[in-house]
Amino acid sequence: MKRASMIAYVFAIGLFLVSCAGIPTKPTEANFKAPVITLKSAQVTQYNGYWYYAAAIKPTKGKAGANSAVLPLAFLFDITNPNDYPIKLEGFSFTVVFDGFDVNMVNSFDTQWIPPGKTNQLTVMSILDVHQGLLGLLLPNAEKVKQRKTNPWALLEKWWTGIPNNTVPIEVYKGSATFTADGVQKVIPFAAKAVK
Amino acid sequence: MRNKFFTVVLAFLTIGIFVSSASAAEIKIGGLTDCTGATSDVGRDYALGLAEAFNYVNNTGGINGKKIKYTWFDYGYRIPEAITKYNFLKRMGVIAIEGWGTGDTEALSPTVFKDKIPYVSASFSAHLTNPAKTPYNLFFAPDYSTQARSVLTAWFETRWPKNKDYGKRKPRFACVYAFPAPYASAPIKAIKDQAKLLGFEIGDDQDVALTSMDSKSQIMALQKFKPDVVWHGNTTMCVTATLRDAYALGLGADWLVNYWGYDENLYKLAGKAAEGAMCAGPAYFFGDNKGQMKIVHEYAAKYNPGIPAKDRLKFTVTAWSNVLLLREALTRADKAGDLTGPGILHKGFETMRDFKILDGGLGTSPVTFTSTDHRTTSIVPVYELRSGNFNYVKTIDLKARWPEKWAKEWLGW
Repeated sequence: MKRASMIAYVFAIGLFLVSCAGIPTKPTEANFKAPVITLKSAQVTQYNGYWYYAAAIKPTKGKAGANSAVLPLAFLFDITNPNDYPIKLEGFSFTVVFDGFDVNMVNSFDTQWIPPGKTNQLTVMSILDVHQGLLGLLLPNAEKVKQRKTNPWALLEKWWTGIPNNTVPIEVYKGSATFTADGVQKVIPFAAKAVK
Repeated sequence: MRNKFFTVVLAFLTIGIFVSSASAAEIKIGGLTDCTGATSDVGRDYALGLAEAFNYVNNTGGINGKKIKYTWFDYGYRIPEAITKYNFLKRMGVIAIEGWGTGDTEALSPTVFKDKIPYVSASFSAHLTNPAKTPYNLFFAPDYSTQARSVLTAWFETRWPKNKDYGKRKPRFACVYAFPAPYASAPIKAIKDQAKLLGFEIGDDQDVALTSMDSKSQIMALQKFKPDVVWHGNTTMCVTATLRDAYALGLGADWLVNYWGYDENLYKLAGKAAEGAMCAGPAYFFGDNKGQMKIVHEYAAKYNPGIPAKDRLKFTVTAWSNVLLLREALTRADKAGDLTGPGILHKGFETMRDFKILDGGLGTSPVTFTSTDHRTTSIVPVYELRSGNFNYVKTIDLKARWPEKWAKEWLGW
């Protein structure tokens, strides 16, 4: 009888522990650990060469305009959730840097759930053409161009011909990623250099 | 009995579904910004501010409990791109858009009129203030023309009397701006009209491209006219270059600057060359620690933690003001049960009378829209730059000064 009681007691404790293990941790401001964001690669998804036609040039077809080569880049990130509960990625933005110059600010509206302890991947596209790059160098980066004792066209040619060959340093910074879990929100900054 | 039980259960389940779907209701708002184009030197900060302000709206009750889903794109200040993105936002089902510059806003104005989609923009062009022509274009600030008239008037009343030639001759005034840029050219007719009204001698305009970093030839042309005061209508980087050239060449004129050419970067880049430059201040500067600016600072730090406060600009506050204006319109229209475009316009915006954005805590003047006049206010605080600080000069109320002209002549240009 005593032995039977003991077995029942141990079984009950075991059942209790097992059921406790199944209770997910409730997300709070205090226990929400910052997810880890790593830039895995920056890939030119379609290379179109380096070219620019001023608005005065008549095209073979279509309308004239300041048309130029587009450089699409796919930034692949690993996002690891160190928490004991699933988290949802709700916002993701960053600034793209070529060779020390801010060239683009991109954002992603894709949402995704990341299971506890797991790593998901997110690809964010940055689209930039030579003309946009030129405006960026003429305006926000004008002072830096001057300090480097170079000129916008020299930089653009270097970037558009060098990036496909991985000879131009690419970084992301001023990054901001928004995560939620059961109504609790966490925004984390991130910055990274593309691996050569 | 059993049937009754199931009916009750079914009723509860049905109510539950409706309640959960109501609480999950969201309002879709679109955004068009310039983070890479000709106005990106000021556009990036505005884009950040919009997103932060929408987070604030959602964290403080949304629109009568409904959350806003804000989706925005960079259109690089290219009009075809703006139209493409606008069409996509429309297909997404957005009920209002936070737009950007005078280029996209004026290009899209007939379309938003046809589609009846309220378009709140950072373009404060007076061309957008006449609801008979552009009813769906809205913004919180005094329009560029009202700002320009006010800044020139403030200069005339505070600086000109201290000039050694005061009382001996007319003050001389000229304009520098990018002729083809809609933003830059928008207030020129009005500021020249004001100059005429105040008795200025007006010199020839000088064309300086938005992307120009060298204005020496234009400054040399101005030297022949010897202006006492010059209006610069471009954005900050270009204004910086022109002010430096003017300083280096000893032009000796005071500078009045259009709204998007005057920010926290101006003194950093132009230094002494920007000393004394004047501008309208329809909302606080980012560094101001007054009113409700603490909230703006907190949200900037929270949602863009990678960007230091020293790099933020007054355009964050501008963005907040436009978002909170739209919030008020949406809240009113929603209470009236009409979140359609016409509902947001007539039951939202056009019901505002002296509405104080965030209780006036962002430094904005009270906002009024009527069905015949979308000029939000005639009250313009004017500031000047002194040793890197933006010092308040005086407030000009055009309606109070020139009520006849305000009511009958100045609407829409």
